[in-house]
This record gives sequence, C-alpha cells and structure tokens, in this order.
Amino acid sequence: MGAFQGVVRQLMLRLPSCLLALLLAFLAVGQQTNPVDEFFARTSSTHTNNWAVLVCASRYWFNYRHMANALGMYRTVKRLGIPDSNIILMLADDVACNTRNKFPGSVYANQGRRLDLYGDNIEVDYRGYEVTVENFIRLLTGRVEDSVPRSKRLLTDERSNVFVYMTGHGGNEFLKFQDNEEISAFDIADAFEQMWQKKRYNELFFMIDTCQANTMYSKFYSPNILATGSSMLDENSYSHENDADIGVAVIDKFTHHVLSYLEGINKTSKANFKDFFETYNFETIRSHAGVRSDLFDRKLEDTLLTDFFGGVAQVEVMDIPPNPSVQEPLVKSDQKLAQGVDDAFSSSIPRQSLSPVNPPGMSGWRLWLGCALMVGLVLVVGVFRG
Amino acid sequence: MFLRRLGLGTLVAARLLLAYHPALLHLQDDAQLSSPLTSYKRLLEGIFLFQNGVDPYTGGTFRHSPLLLALFSTAFPLSSTTTPIIWLAFDLLGAVSLAKIYHSRTQARDRNRNFVLVAFYLLNPYQLLASLARSTASIENALSLLASAFACSGKSSYALLALAFLTHLSMPAVLLTLPISLLILRGPHSSLATPTAFHSWSKLIPLIAEYSIYVGILSITASSIAGGVHWPYKTWGAFLTLPDLTPNPGLWWYFFTEMFDHFRPFFLAAFSIHMAIYVVPLSLKFQHDPLFAAYIILGIVGLLKPYPTLADAGLFLTLLGVFPEIYQYLRTPIVTALLHLHSSLLLPLFHKLWLSQGTGNANFFYASTLVFALANGFAILDALQAGLRVGLGTRPDGWELVQI
Repeated sequence: MGAFQGVVRQLMLRLPSCLLALLLAFLAVGQQTNPVDEFFARTSSTHTNNWAVLVCASRYWFNYRHMANALGMYRTVKRLGIPDSNIILMLADDVACNTRNKFPGSVYANQGRRLDLYGDNIEVDYRGYEVTVENFIRLLTGRVEDSVPRSKRLLTDERSNVFVYMTGHGGNEFLKFQDNEEISAFDIADAFEQMWQKKRYNELFFMIDTCQANTMYSKFYSPNILATGSSMLDENSYSHENDADIGVAVIDKFTHHVLSYLEGINKTSKANFKDFFETYNFETIRSHAGVRSDLFDRKLEDTLLTDFFGGVAQVEVMDIPPNPSVQEPLVKSDQKLAQGVDDAFSSSIPRQSLSPVNPPGMSGWRLWLGCALMVGLVLVVGVFRG
Repeated sequence: MFLRRLGLGTLVAARLLLAYHPALLHLQDDAQLSSPLTSYKRLLEGIFLFQNGVDPYTGGTFRHSPLLLALFSTAFPLSSTTTPIIWLAFDLLGAVSLAKIYHSRTQARDRNRNFVLVAFYLLNPYQLLASLARSTASIENALSLLASAFACSGKSSYALLALAFLTHLSMPAVLLTLPISLLILRGPHSSLATPTAFHSWSKLIPLIAEYSIYVGILSITASSIAGGVHWPYKTWGAFLTLPDLTPNPGLWWYFFTEMFDHFRPFFLAAFSIHMAIYVVPLSLKFQHDPLFAAYIILGIVGLLKPYPTLADAGLFLTLLGVFPEIYQYLRTPIVTALLHLHSSLLLPLFHKLWLSQGTGNANFFYASTLVFALANGFAILDALQAGLRVGLGTRPDGWELVQI
C-alpha cells in the first residue's frame, strides 16, 4: 500500500512535466507546415485560374478603333496564356467583313498594318446584336438561361482572377452599348457585388477605355477589385493614329499604351502593377488615366501583371514516388520512365530495349506465356500435321 | 548464279542500311503508309503502357493484336537497332514465299525470274516505304504470302496456321479462308487456260474447321496475354465499327466523318458486306485456279478494307508477277500504271496540303483517295477480265471476240 502510494505520488509529481512534454510534442507536430499552404505561400497571389471578359460596346465602321482595342487585348491576353475557353469576347464584329473595309477579313491596330488581329483563329463569343447590357450583366452574374452554351458563360469560381476590359463611347458614369442603350457605373458595381456574393471571383481587374472613363469605376464597393481608366471626369480619351488606307482611326491612345507595355512582357514576367501604373503619363496618353486600388488589399508591387493578363499557373513538378512492389532497383526504373518521357517528346527514335519490368497491374509472365503458347502451337502443328 | 546471289545480297544489305537512315523516321507518321491499326508508334505506345502497368486496350490508341504485344515485348524487343532487322526479316520471308508461290505455280526453276520477283517485292515503292515506315502492314503482307506459299506446297496445316495468325493481325483476312482452302485442295498449277470444275466441296469443311480451331487457340492465347476478353472489341471491332477516322488512303473514313449516328450501323454493315460479298462468287468462278481467286480477293480486300495502306495495293501489284500468262490479255495496263503514278503523287501532296499547310481541305485528299481506288479498281478488273480471257484461248485469224 505504501509502495503503491509512493508510485502514485511519483506519478503526480511527474504528471505536469509529462503533460507539458505531450503538449509541446503536439505543437511540434502541428507546426509541420501543410505542403499545400506552403506551395500557395510562395507568391502573394491566391488564384488558380484566370478569366478575361473583353467587351467592345460600339458598332459601325467609324468605331473601328474600339474593335481593334478589344481584339488587341484579346490577342495579348491569349499570348500571355489565357485559353479561349476562359475568354469571353464580346464584339459587334462588323468591321472585318464590312463593305468599307479595304482589307476584308482583317482588323489592324497600327498605321502600317503590320499585324492582323482578326486572322482565322479568334473566337468571338457574343457578336453583333448579342452584345447588350442585359447579356453582359447576365454573363457576369451567371444568371443565364439554361439554353446558353458553355462558351458563353463565365464559369469562374472563388479562386478565379477575372480581367474585365471595356471600350466604347462613354460619359459620366455611363457607357453606351451598340448605339442603342447604356450601362451605368451603378449597374456594373452591383453586378460585381453579386459576383462577390456568389464567390465568382478571387480578384477582379477592371480596365476601361472610353471618354470620362474613371467615373465608371467610382461606384464599386466590393472587395478585391483593382480598377483603371483612361480619362477623368470631363476629359475625353483620344484615338492614337489613323491608317490612310483604312481611312479611320485604328487604335486608342490608352489601349495602345497598355498593349505596347504588355508586348514587352511574356508569361514568365515578374513585372508588377506598381511599375505599370507608373508608366501612365499625360504626354503620351493625352488624358489623365486613373487607378483605383482602395478596394484591393494586396500591395501593387506584389501583384504581377500576369496575375490578371496572363494564364500562368503555379506548377510544381514532383518526383513520381517509387512503387514498393517493383522488383528492379528504383533508380533504374525511374531512369527508364524519364527516358521514355524524354523520347516521347524528342524525335521519333524509339526507346532502348525494354526489359520486362514487373508492374503491379499487368504481369510480364503473361507475355512469356503468350509467346510460349504461340510457339507451342506452331510446334504442335508442325509435329502432328506437318 | 553467283551474280544473282551477289545481287540479292547487295540488295538486302543496301535495304538494311537504308532502314537505319535517320531521315526515314518521319515516314512513321505518314498516314498513307500506316493506318491507326498498323502504326509503329502506336505499337510502341502499347508496349510501353503494358510494361508500365496500364492495360493498353482501355484506350483507343493501341489496336494491334495482343499477339504482337507479346511477341515484340519479349522475343523480338523493339529498339532503333533491332526493328529494321525484324522488318527486313519479315520482308525476306514475304519475298521467299513469293518465289515459292511462283515456283509452285509454274514448276519451272527459273532463277532469273525468282530474282526479279524477289527484287520487285523488296523494291516496290508501296511496300518498301511501308516497310521503312515500320508499318505492321509489312508483317501482314508477309503472312498472307506465307499462307499462300504453304497452301501452294500443299502444307495445309501450316497454311491455315499462318492464315490464323494473319486473321489475328487483320480481320479481313478471314475472307481469304475460302480461296486458301481451295488452293490447298486444288493446287497452284496454272489452269486459267483449261478451266475444269471442282467437285470435292465437302473437303473444305475439315480445312475450315481446322482454321477455326487455330483461330480459337490463338484467341485464347491473346486473351491470356491481355488478361481479359476486351481486346477483340478494340482490335477486330475496329474493322467493324470504325472508331478511328484518321484519314487514310481508303474509302471509308470520309464517308463516315459526315455520317449521322442514326445511319452509322446500316452503312457499316453495307460497307463490310460489300467487301465480303465478292469472296464466294470469285471462288466459284475461279474454282479451277484458286490462286488466281486468292489474288483477286486480296486485291478487293485491299481496296475495300476499312483501314488500308499503300502496302495492300503494293501486294496486289507485286503478285501480278506470279501470273505472266495474263499479261498479253491485259487491256489497260498503261492506264492503271498512270493512275497509280497519279495517285501515289497526289496522296501525300494533298495530305500535306490539307493537314500541314492548311491551304487545302479534306476534299482534295479524298479526291486523291478516289483516284487511288480507281487505280486499284482498274488493276483488279483488268486482271480479272484477263484471267477469264485466258480461258478463251488465242484468237484465230479472221475471228473476232465479241461480248454478248
């Protein structure tokens, strides 16, 4: 009894230290960083996919430059990695095959007609009379009819970074759609708020190139929105150059500035938004381009251009874990696998002779059994019927 | 004789060295020389998948027989050094079989002619390029010639076994059962000039039964290799259901690209029956010379099969060398030759124009496949009418041959 009590007392004395040791052990184990979080913590961006909504809200031949604006942005965004499936392009699409177009089937954005933006590889999702305010808002909010095809839906999720670009004729807190109707800054702000409530974007970058463009983003109130516009209140946005053979203005100053800057970067670029916005100047753009970043909680110097303009995914290639049931030494089988992958991507030279590895699924003995059966059949036929 | 042997040796050595040239690796991608069922790259893909634990028959890439899978994974491993040797070995097998067929047919040990035949088989551009492209169509050709050679020698079991192997590689070869069996029973001697009826039709039944048993045993072998019975749908089923519409020099793919699903089974049945329907009438008509019947049926199968390659046309043209008695009665040899020249130039040109450059469209290539089919058709029909004409004998002076 005394011995037992002695043991109990010993335990009681040691208990706190044991508990402390146990607690520290748990903390230590809990401190092991989750590799997924570690992976996402490498950059400050939190998105996994990119979408772009490019809207040209004008129609008719004399608004050639708005079409070229949108198509130029489309080309750049595609070049930087966003696939067609993630781009919604809304154009009136009436200049390329316009009877007044001296270069039918082509849309150019510079004076010497050096680069055809129309080509034969573009996908216009909303064209002609489908570019309406109602369709635009339905697209953003996702409240589309069941019959609307996938290519016309904005299938974003809460980890999507969305780039919305709009160009056309605008004014104080409105944008004219197709010479017919207007969308107001309040409408767009409410649409973005709906997107936020429905978790349809992670971060949103809004760019607009119209007259008095900065007024269009003045009414936003949802978080994680970065906005930029080409001109302030009571200021016009100007076109950049005319082409003598086409006969109309082919690009706007603000969009030309943006596209020239983006032409200098590629998918691997680490150019950030702070440097980009600092290149805005009145001398070249001839209007006071503005930026609104109060709703955007990341620092602009940490936000890469490719977070919105490009479709760069964060990828880490991991080694294929060795298979415990493989009988051959691990190094040899990895080398063969890697060599096979290399050969598949290099020329058509076939791989070196494969020795039959014993994979867990299909067994090598089957092959030898098959060969044996075939040879056996030939021999049997030869012996008995030859 | 020494010169002949030297010539043959030089030919074979040169052919082997040519096969190692790195520029020829691009031929493996050519759609005219290998179809989805005979492509070397797909064979490699299947072997790779198999050896890494993935069943190659679960996808749509690998459509070769499990027998080839087993053979080329174990006994004849494929690599950049061994593959040309393997393919040359099959070509030589085919060449030797061709010489054997000719020898059995004419009984004349004309070695010059043997050499010419062997050289023609090895150098025929349709077959040479298909072999350099490492298409398994060369293996199929070699096996058909081997089966015919054994049948000409009277070795029935070997012939039927070779035919069973061939059936596993290419299902339309089942149509050759009837002529090969007739050939075994009748013999290869040229009797186009003296047609006589064939009376022992009941003797065909044991031969066909033996062939079926061989096919069955090989199917069991294939099932044990593949570990299931899902492979016939992917390999033989490809001939019947046409799952892969990769453009090839055949007549099926274009038709079925624009086919509504509702009509697909009907037209698949119609096309398959069209190919099969010529076997029995031709075997009956040429019961006096089954080798000739086999020849014409090979041509028809090569023309109408779902995934033909140039090697099938090449086999037909090469085998023409075995029937010199019909040369004087061929009415349109120049037209046939020119059509073949025309189509062989246009097929790769329009294929490239359509699929690489983008300046043409599918209709260009389809038109060239129609010309190719016309070339084959002319060849077959000309040979057919010449074979029948031989039976009528030479025309005496002052008489005219009129079809009524």
